[in-house]
Amino acid sequence: MTTTPESILALIGEFLTRASKSRDDLSAQTSLWADGLELDSLEAAELSAMLEDAYGTDPFSVGATMPETVADVLAFYEGARTA
Amino acid sequence: MIDLLARTAAVAPDRVAVVTDLGEATYGELAAEARSVAAALIERGLSRVAIVEPDARLVIALLAGAASAGVEACQYLPDLDPDEFAVQAQANGHDQVITRRSDLVGELIDPEALTSGVPTDHGHPGAAVQQLLILTTGSTGQPKAARHDWRVLAGRLEEVAPTPEWRWLLAYGLHQFAGLQVVLHVLASGSTLVAPFPRQPRDGLRAITELGVDAVSATPTYWRFLLAEARGRGATMPPLRQITLGGEAASEALLLALRDWFPAARITHVYASTEVGSVLAVNDGRPGFDAALLRSPQRPEGRLEIRDGELWVRGSAGMVEYAGQATLAPFSADADGWRPTGDLVEVVGERVHFRGRDSEVINVGGVKVHPLPVEERIAAVAGVAMVRVYGRANKLTGAIVAAEIVAEQGVVPDELRAAVRDAVADLPRAWQPRSLQFVEQIKTVGSKTIRRVEA
Repeated sequence: MTTTPESILALIGEFLTRASKSRDDLSAQTSLWADGLELDSLEAAELSAMLEDAYGTDPFSVGATMPETVADVLAFYEGARTA
Repeated sequence: MIDLLARTAAVAPDRVAVVTDLGEATYGELAAEARSVAAALIERGLSRVAIVEPDARLVIALLAGAASAGVEACQYLPDLDPDEFAVQAQANGHDQVITRRSDLVGELIDPEALTSGVPTDHGHPGAAVQQLLILTTGSTGQPKAARHDWRVLAGRLEEVAPTPEWRWLLAYGLHQFAGLQVVLHVLASGSTLVAPFPRQPRDGLRAITELGVDAVSATPTYWRFLLAEARGRGATMPPLRQITLGGEAASEALLLALRDWFPAARITHVYASTEVGSVLAVNDGRPGFDAALLRSPQRPEGRLEIRDGELWVRGSAGMVEYAGQATLAPFSADADGWRPTGDLVEVVGERVHFRGRDSEVINVGGVKVHPLPVEERIAAVAGVAMVRVYGRANKLTGAIVAAEIVAEQGVVPDELRAAVRDAVADLPRAWQPRSLQFVEQIKTVGSKTIRRVEA
């Protein structure tokens, strides 16, 4: 699957729908944690699995630091794409 | 084993003992072939042999002949990769291999050269060896070779009632403990073995609908595949007299489905394994077994006990030892003869329910999740043909619960996904599948579902 920002945002949106979370204000600046998507560990694990299934890797498992925002997730794949 | 063959051969030599895709063999023919094998093995001076052969007629003659000659036989998966066979044969010290294949290491012996010789009516002079090796399925790594004593295995057949008109389907591999149990039961009861090859559920369905079968012993996974195949083809099933389940826990949903398909059949769930042998049989059609069977002050002779949630057994017809691997102790008996089984159980009311293997437990952020109850929830959702629940490694929580689903034809995946989520919504959050994938076929080893944690 192509790792464009649009496809990644669409996948995160799909995850939020499955998790019954609001996706109205989803943007690159949205925090993954408090004051944002408010993911708990199980939800983050689910999102990481969805990202891995779609793209073969995910920033929660591979990255040296945990992503804080949606922008960090996008940057992880942008970095992988240009590496 | 040769005594079982000879017993029926003496009174009904023309009765069909085994039906394969290659033809039929009577009890008289099999007994003669087994005696030929015994004579040939004695003449060759062999003490241990490997058998790599799919044809049930040949395998029965070879096993019976080897037992009679005091030769320890060990079957390998008939279509085992040559390199893998080389590894396993070396580990088990097998240099002589009875097989029709030419791609295996060792001294290869054509089985038909053994069965076609001059029979002998006596066994090995002073034969003390009454053992055979049975390889485990290797669902948790390399197969281990469990050494069994023929006399112990045969001792459990004394009470088998004669059912000469019955035809039993061989749904297990003959190299498996369960497959051997089916063969021994067939021979002890003077019945007929129907043994198609390959032995996939679709082959079993064909045998049931075309070759005439009265009784089937198989794993719950095999039955789920077979029923899915039957539904997909709109098959009409003949009545069965006996359905025996083993190797895995049977869910209530499967028991009900079998009751719907085969209302006249007696349904028996046996608890057995390569290591501990046959332990109990449950005939009431309900999942699990009666808690009254557990050892208790009122029942001190009980052979079942629960320790830390794991089922332990004692005094069964278990293996003698692991061959060549004395340090492998997980199934060794303690001083009082009790062995751990690796099966996790829970007492609910007056019933003991199986929750899965200890190796299948999924640790989700410190919460121990048993895959079977989750699997049963999903299996009950309309549109789910097959399901496998297992642990998927995850850096954030250690593992998450994952499910692979085979959807029935015409089902909309997104709708089914939503229905599955609804079905598990009241389970603790750690138990709910966080990875749900639709697949063409679920993973199995032999005819058991794989549920261990995967990376």
